[in-house]
Amino acid sequence: MRNLVLYEIGSRWKAIVGWSFGLIGFGALYISVFPEVEQQMVGLADLAIYEAMGIDLDSFAAYVGSVVLLFIPLLLGIYAISNATQTLAGEEEDGTLELLMARPLRRAEIMLAKAIGLAVALLATLTVAGAGNAAVLAAIKRGYETSITPGQLFTALLSGWPIVMAIAMIGLFLGAFVPKRRIASMTATFVFVAGYFIENISAMVPSLEFLKPASLFTYYDSSATALTEGAAAGDVLVLGAVAIVALILALLSFANRNVTVGEWPWRRRGGQL
Amino acid sequence: MSGNVIETHDLTLYYGRHRGVQNVDLSVARGEVFGFLGPNGAGKTTTQRVLLDIIRATSGTASVFGLDSRKDGPAIRSRIGYLPGDLALPAQMTGRRFLSLMSSLESRPVDAAFRDELCERLELDPDRKIPEYSRGNRQKVGIVAAFMSRPDLVILDEPTTGLDPLIQQRVMELVREVRADGRTVFFSSHVLHEVQSVCDRVGIIREGTLVRTESVEALTRRQFTRLRLMFRTPPPSDAFARSGVAEISRDRNTVLLEVHSDLEAVLRRALEYGIDDIATEPVTLEEVFLAFYGTRGNAGTNERAHGGTDA
Repeated sequence: MRNLVLYEIGSRWKAIVGWSFGLIGFGALYISVFPEVEQQMVGLADLAIYEAMGIDLDSFAAYVGSVVLLFIPLLLGIYAISNATQTLAGEEEDGTLELLMARPLRRAEIMLAKAIGLAVALLATLTVAGAGNAAVLAAIKRGYETSITPGQLFTALLSGWPIVMAIAMIGLFLGAFVPKRRIASMTATFVFVAGYFIENISAMVPSLEFLKPASLFTYYDSSATALTEGAAAGDVLVLGAVAIVALILALLSFANRNVTVGEWPWRRRGGQL
Repeated sequence: MSGNVIETHDLTLYYGRHRGVQNVDLSVARGEVFGFLGPNGAGKTTTQRVLLDIIRATSGTASVFGLDSRKDGPAIRSRIGYLPGDLALPAQMTGRRFLSLMSSLESRPVDAAFRDELCERLELDPDRKIPEYSRGNRQKVGIVAAFMSRPDLVILDEPTTGLDPLIQQRVMELVREVRADGRTVFFSSHVLHEVQSVCDRVGIIREGTLVRTESVEALTRRQFTRLRLMFRTPPPSDAFARSGVAEISRDRNTVLLEVHSDLEAVLRRALEYGIDDIATEPVTLEEVFLAFYGTRGNAGTNERAHGGTDA
């Protein structure tokens, strides 16, 4: 299994590099423009559209939190979904999974190797992106006064790992559960993006508040306090639990199905892990 | 445990309502090359995937090396080399990297020198990226991966697809070497002449059902006899019109017959018309196969025409 884990990690290095630098560029763009347009930003702070998108423009810290801390995990979450569904359902559809299944590996080992590869890739991406964004902030601090430190930004960006892991494991589960990658990918994307809107819109529409617990973003803090106080332990535990439960469901689904034939759950026989 | 490497009993698999295989009883002895013949969709790949626990039987059992294919998948697969029919290789690596990866996932060490030797014999350049390979070269990568660990059982699904005739012969040599080594090959194909040239026994599967398992020689010999009869004068046109006999052609005094049953009666009838010469012509496995499936691939067409077989 060790060799498979190493392969799963190694096969993602290009994505790690690409996404890391993409997210550094995204953060650099948004962080660096704030000092220039600060006055205009404050004037826009009360617009409902920003509230609906969870964007707070009241201060630099709030802006960095709601743009960088919110959108970097959101964007990385989309990658996580794409990669998680490709790694199982996609490989099943393109036929490469069959050769892997013919090796002396347990199905659980294959699934765990893929989950570990994905987890390491996401963590590595966030680490590099966090370091890059922290460096951008350090550069900006030379000419703009802010209490946020590069270390705080780095730590806060790393706290996005649980939410991207949660959606990655949901994607992995859906890839094992439904017969087509596209369905798995679309479903996971809907869960993720709908969760983002539910979290923000329910703050404006009290009648939708009952949906909040179902949103992953409810357990992820991208406000200014996340920069100074870090992620709440309870939230991290909830997201961790979601990731673990989704992984267990993925293991069970993969263990109890016919592979290579694109099979809906109700056509599957019972089996054992 | 019997001496059989592969055994299935009443193996049945349905994909929802669709038939995969039905009541397949199969046994493959240690050290033999077993040909698994059938048209596309007959159930060949399904059977192989059940043996590897890639898919699971609806009912019945399948065992390999005396182990349950469902419960002991990793132990079984540690002794199997497999070439899928629809071979797909990951795009982002070279052939060598792929073979190294597959080697690293084996439970027993792979002899790198032997792996390189296989590449040489198949004229494969392993240092090219997989997307640059032709269909045939990708197939070679798959063949090397199947043979490189010197597995106790090699399962090959349409192994010569996309290969030129010279390389096809080399693959056949590899198969013969496995047999000479006392190991076993499960050789799935619809290329009949290669099955005929390399296999000891053959199982014919159609519409998910194993219709016959026999030695290649016996199947070829017993299925029907082709007789070329030369008469002194042309016999009547209905001279051999009987169940189990088909008149294939007639050229003045010469009649070509396919005799599926009661050869003795046919010969007696021929003697009645004054025979000058008689010759038997070899029957290829392809012709035997077509007798099962019909010339258009319709199972049983010829069986009905000739009054049935003993399948």
